[in-house]
Formats: sequence, structure tokens, C-alpha cells
Amino acid sequence: MLILAAAVPLWRTIDQPVALKGLVAMVGLLLIAWELWWFLGRHGGGVVARESEAGLQEITITVDGGYAPSRIKVKAGRPLRLSFHRIDPSGCVAQVIFPDFHKTLDLPLEATTSLELPPSEAGVYPFHCGMNMVRGVLEVVEERANNQSAKRAS
Amino acid sequence: MERELARERTLLRRRVSVAAVLTVLVVVSSLPHMLGGGHHSFLPLWFTSPWTQLILTTPVLFWCGRDFFTGAVSAFRQHSADMNTLVAAGTGIAYLTSLFSTLFPQVLIAEGLPADVYFETAAVIFTLVLLGRLLEARARGQTSEAIRRLLQLQPPTARVLRDGQPIEIPVSQVMVGDLVQVRPGEKIPVDGVVSEGSSWVEESMLTGEPTPVAKAAGDAVIGASMNRSGSFTFRVSRVGGDTVLAQIVELVRQAQSSRTQVQRLADQVVGWFVPVVIALAITAFVVWFLISGNAVLAMLFLVSVLVIACPCTLGLATPTSIMVASGKGAENGLIFRSAEALETAGKLRTIVLDKTGTLTRGQPEVTDFERLPGGVLPAGTLLALTAALESRSEHPLAEAITTYARSQLKDSELPAVEGFEAVAGRGVQGSIAGQQVRVGTPRWFEELGIDTAALKPLVERLEAAACSVAAVVVDGRIEACFGVADPLKTSSAAAVAALRRLGLQVVMLSGDARRTAEVVAAQVGIERVIAEVRPADKSSVIRKLQEQGEGPVAMVGDGINDAPALAAADVGIAMGTGTDVAIAASDITLISGNLAGVPAAIELSRTAMANIRQNLVFAFAYNVAGIPIAAGLLFPLTGWLLSPMIAGAAMAFSSVSVVSNALRLRSFHPARLPLPTT
Repeated sequence: MLILAAAVPLWRTIDQPVALKGLVAMVGLLLIAWELWWFLGRHGGGVVARESEAGLQEITITVDGGYAPSRIKVKAGRPLRLSFHRIDPSGCVAQVIFPDFHKTLDLPLEATTSLELPPSEAGVYPFHCGMNMVRGVLEVVEERANNQSAKRAS
Repeated sequence: MERELARERTLLRRRVSVAAVLTVLVVVSSLPHMLGGGHHSFLPLWFTSPWTQLILTTPVLFWCGRDFFTGAVSAFRQHSADMNTLVAAGTGIAYLTSLFSTLFPQVLIAEGLPADVYFETAAVIFTLVLLGRLLEARARGQTSEAIRRLLQLQPPTARVLRDGQPIEIPVSQVMVGDLVQVRPGEKIPVDGVVSEGSSWVEESMLTGEPTPVAKAAGDAVIGASMNRSGSFTFRVSRVGGDTVLAQIVELVRQAQSSRTQVQRLADQVVGWFVPVVIALAITAFVVWFLISGNAVLAMLFLVSVLVIACPCTLGLATPTSIMVASGKGAENGLIFRSAEALETAGKLRTIVLDKTGTLTRGQPEVTDFERLPGGVLPAGTLLALTAALESRSEHPLAEAITTYARSQLKDSELPAVEGFEAVAGRGVQGSIAGQQVRVGTPRWFEELGIDTAALKPLVERLEAAACSVAAVVVDGRIEACFGVADPLKTSSAAAVAALRRLGLQVVMLSGDARRTAEVVAAQVGIERVIAEVRPADKSSVIRKLQEQGEGPVAMVGDGINDAPALAAADVGIAMGTGTDVAIAASDITLISGNLAGVPAAIELSRTAMANIRQNLVFAFAYNVAGIPIAAGLLFPLTGWLLSPMIAGAAMAFSSVSVVSNALRLRSFHPARLPLPTT
């Protein structure tokens, strides 16, 4: 064990070849770069909700450690139904909160719970779990902009 | 939901117990090694072997703590990183390193390193983190206590009259229009209007009002309030989600799901936090490896950094305080509609009070009835004549006079009126039993050339007391006069004083003539009066105050006439009537309509925001100080190294402290004002 006082015996310097040091530094930097890209980079422009004939936009989100998909693109000015399917037993994700809509939804385990949101203006509306650790984003875009980005994506 | 949380706690408790027992064994097993190596005779050799430790530690990680790993993996697949990621990575690395040195000790020895194992480190961290999570889950359960208590207020059954016979049925089966019997000491099951009987009812659990309210036929009763000594029957007006109780619960839930401005900042930080910590941990490993060439030492720094960082503390800092504070508000009859309302209420500088219905009761009453020296008719006759005439008018003052006159008369039969006429802005006239009777303003009689000299001193006195005056003239002879006033609520003066103590500028807004308004303002201790404002102009008054830099401005008024002004204000505070909770234009609703709720709401807001600031400062300071220490920044100066186990303990208890600090808000009590309310 390494407690404050017992630190000294563990302190031991070992001469390592410069090549190994360089390699470790290199791998470390690459690892950092990759990790930052993986967690913070944008991965796909978000999933576009499908639209029913009545103009209602619908999407199902799987809750398992995170929200899949976690970035949802919808059109402005149309009603939206989000269905959450929770398979993660952790109590942390038992609630999903949409702060901008003042809505909290309880998600029973192994079940699908739906939330209907009124048509909203273009903007980015985050949502998260009860503890604010698992997060997703609802991106509401003007219709034309959405088409363009869809085209760009294809 | 509740059951699920309880089940989770039970499971967590079992896992903590198992982990604790195994961890103690692992620590004992690693003792000889920790104490400087060598074999101690009191422990058998097999017990201190790395293999034993491996066997003991494995279930701690992969049974007790498997949620951390599965959580981390699924979060990873979603390109997100959280608490689980840090804990799983930190302990996973310690475990894998130890596994390597157990399987291939000769590799390390050849490198000049001791073949040490750190199973106990992984086990201790897991046990502490699990324990922290258990304590936190328990504490978090208490933050939503207010809502649970509200929901428990409703009794499960109601005694409904069916075909004249009382039968006990579940509350969910009660329908609008049913007649419900309530006996002494029973709870009122749903909302309704008393049809028979009378009693005193305690509504404090919903409105925050400590004094019981008298209820008789025609009065509204609220579901979940407590009947005291009388019995009565009431007709059900609202059930299910429409009841006052259900609306309160819904509004509190909505407020708890919203977020404050400060939280937006914390949220942004949380999003970046974990990836940045991972980067720092790798940096610490690389730097220490370059300095010392000792991979095991560098690995311990890496683990410490991963384990000490606590994004949960940041994420929990505001929502827990908001949860507790809005619940606390509901307990005191203060309904905050959003976290932002809670946040802004504490920053208010100016508070505008509407006069009618806010400072006053909103129901004019006769305060004076005086017979004049020249009059000849007895009081009873005068009252009967006045009541007969005024009962035909719809003016609010006429209503007050009729009510007063009827209450003074024994005979409910009023004489017949012929040739009734209402003269706009002046009064009413008609002939009763051959007499010409007029009731109206003194100015009207002056215009008619009637001698009003005897009236002058009275009018002056009454107007100085903020009363409107109506005189009674029979056959051209002044007989009597009425003083009608909208009386102040008894709590108003104390509430205004409390607001001034809180450092707010108090402004009164009124449609009355300046002089009357100033008299009322002086009675409650308000110096600044904006009078003669038409209802439609109230919102522009608010905007003007905001433009003059006197904001943030709160407007206190009723929810109907003042709705535009409430919406224009930074914080709109609506005076509820006890039965109307969901007032759309308001940010804060005072269920009871007691003005004392306004200073209480501001106090609660200030206390809650101070609590949130403490939490955020603690959460930032903890992480900002903890991570560099764990990364070994102090080592060159002091020779201190932070054990990963201590890092784990610090992490586990930092989030517990944030939640516990938020729970301190439960002891909030608004300063009680000296006067009871009416």
C-alpha cells in the first residue's frame, strides 16, 4: 500500500533506454488525442427522427449506459414523440429530464416510455438522466437547413 | 419508481457488505507485505500469497462492482464517459497490473522492480465507492421527500353518499358531483364545496397557513386538508389530476425538472470533465515514467488521478439543492414554477404590490354607518330603504352596502321600489312607499342643490381613512351616510416591513385616486405609490421600472387581472385563493394568498442560492485541488504521494457531502411574521 509516509521505499528510479521513454511518450500522446476525439469529437450529425403522415416526428431511444442515439435531429414547428426503451438497470438512468421543457419522465426498466413534446423553435435542447451524468441532445433545426445537412451527409 | 429505488438500495447494501468483508480479508492478507515484507508467523503463507488476494479481489470487482464495468462499456460505445468510466478504468488498471505481476513476477524482477500486487487498492477503492453510492442514494431519496409527503396526504378512501346511504369507496372511484361525508378528525379526500354542516379545517399542509379556516355551506374545501371538530357533507368538484393537491405535486415536479443559469455552466463543465481527466491521468503516467523510469509508480499516479476526480459532485451540486428547496417551498404554500424563478427571486431589488386583493382583501365592506343631525327617520327604516334600492344595483359598493344593511335588519322582506334608476358615476334613485329615495356620492347631491354642509366633516374623515362615501337622501333631506372601504389584510403591514428588512424597495400600484392610494400605502408603511393606473397599463409600469434600472422587479398581484404585469415582471408572484394553484402567468404562486409568503419566498430563494453556491464552490475546489495532488504535483516539494485508496475515499465522500449540504435546506423556516393572517 502506498500511504503518505510509506511512499519513500517505493520511490525507485530505474534507467530506461531513451527509445523506450520516447515510445511511452509517443503512445501516451496518441492515446490522449484518440481519447479526446472519441469522447468529445462529433460522431455523425445525429439521427433524424422519422416522420409519420400526420406530421408527428417519432424516434425510439435505447437507454443502456447512454442514450442511443444521443443526438437527435428534428424539424422545428412539428410535434415530436420520443420513446425511451430502458434496458440499463442502473438507478441513475431511471429518470430522464428535459430542463427546457420542464419535463421529467420516469423510465421503468425493460419498458418503453413515451414523451410527447410540443413543436418547438430551432435550437439545441439538452436532456440528461436524473444525476446529470448521461446526456443527450435534441437538435431542432429549420426544415430547409435539415434538408441541406441531410444532403451533405449523403 | 419508489419500489425500484428501494430495490436498488437493497442490492447496493448487499454488494457493499460482501465487498467490505472480502476487502478486509485482502487488506489483512497484504499486511505483511505492506509492513516491509518478510513473513509474519501469525498468518499462514498461503493466505498472504498474491494468488489468495487475486481470488478474494476478483468477486469484489466483477460481482459487487460489475455495474461500473458494464456502465462504462455501454457509455463508451455511446462516445460518452462518466463516473463509471473513471472508476472502472482506475481499478481495472490496478487489477490488471497486479494480475500481470502475479502471473509473471520474473518479468518485473528482471526489470529491477519488486513484483508487488495492488489488489487491495482496487478492492478498497471499490468498497469505498460503493459505500459512497449507497449513502448518496439514501440521501437523494430524502431530497424528494417533500413530494412523497404531499402524495401521502390524500386519504385512500372516501365516504360517499349513494342513494342516501354512506359507503366507503377508494378515492380513485369518487366522481365529480358525488356527495362526500366528512367526520371530525378525518381528512377531506378530494376538492369540493360544502353543501351541509360546518367545521374548522386545517389547510396548513397545503397552504402553509397555520390557523384553521371556518367552513360552512358554499365554502370550498381542498382535498388532503384535515377536518377538525365538526361534521359536514360536500359536493365533489374536482378529482384525480385536477385537484389542488395533484396540481401542486405537478408544479413542484416541473420546477424540479428545470435548471438554473448557474447549472448551465456546471453542465458544460461536466461534458468536458471526464475526457479531460483521462488526458491528465495519461499525462501523469508519461511524465512520471520519464522522470523515474518506474512504470509501477507511474501507474499508481495514473490510478489516483482517475479515481479522485468526481464529476458527480459537479452534476449534483445544483439539482439536489433545487429539489430540496422547491419541496420546502411547497410545504410552506410557496409554489415555484421553475428553478429560474427560485434563482431570480433572491436577486430582486424592487417589488411592486398591487393594492386591491393583494394588500387589501379585495372585497369592499361597510366600515361606517352614520346618521346625520338633520335626519328624521330611524336607523332601521333607513337601512331597509337603502337595501331595497341598492339590491337592484350591480355596483361593488352597492353590493357591500346591501350585505351590510341586510345583516343589520331582522326582517328579510324589503319594501318594493318603483321607478328604479341608476345614474352612472353618481348613484341610484327610486320611490319607495311614496318617498323619493336616493343613494349616491356627495358630489351628486351638491349638483342637485341639496344642502350637504352636515356631510362635509364626515366625508373628510372617511376619505382620510381611505373610504368611499355614499349618502342617503330621502325626499331631498340628507339622512345618513355609509363609509365603504376595502380593508387591509391584517398581514399586509408586517409583510411590507419584512420585505423592507430584506432590503427591497416596495412600490404600491393602484387604480385608485392618488389620495386614497396614499392613505392605504401609509397604513402599511409603503412610501412609493404609483396611483391612477388603469389595469391595462400595469405591465408598462413594470417595464418602465425595469428600464430605469430598478430591476430585477417582481410584481405581486392576482392571477387574472394582473396577468400581463405578472408576465412582464422578472418574477411574477400570484396570490392564490387556496383553490386555484396553476396560475399560468406566475413564476411563484402563494397558495394561501397571504402576503407573508412573499418575503418567505425571497428568503428561501436566497438560502437555496447560497447553498448552491457552496456546493458549486466545493465541487470545483475539490476537483481543482484534488487532481493535481493525485497527479503528484506536490511530490517534488513535500515528498507526498497520495495513495489511490485515499483518492477513492475522497471521491466517494465528496458527492455525499454535496448531497448532505443540500439536505440542510430541509431545516429552512421562513421568519414567522408577528400577525396572523385573515
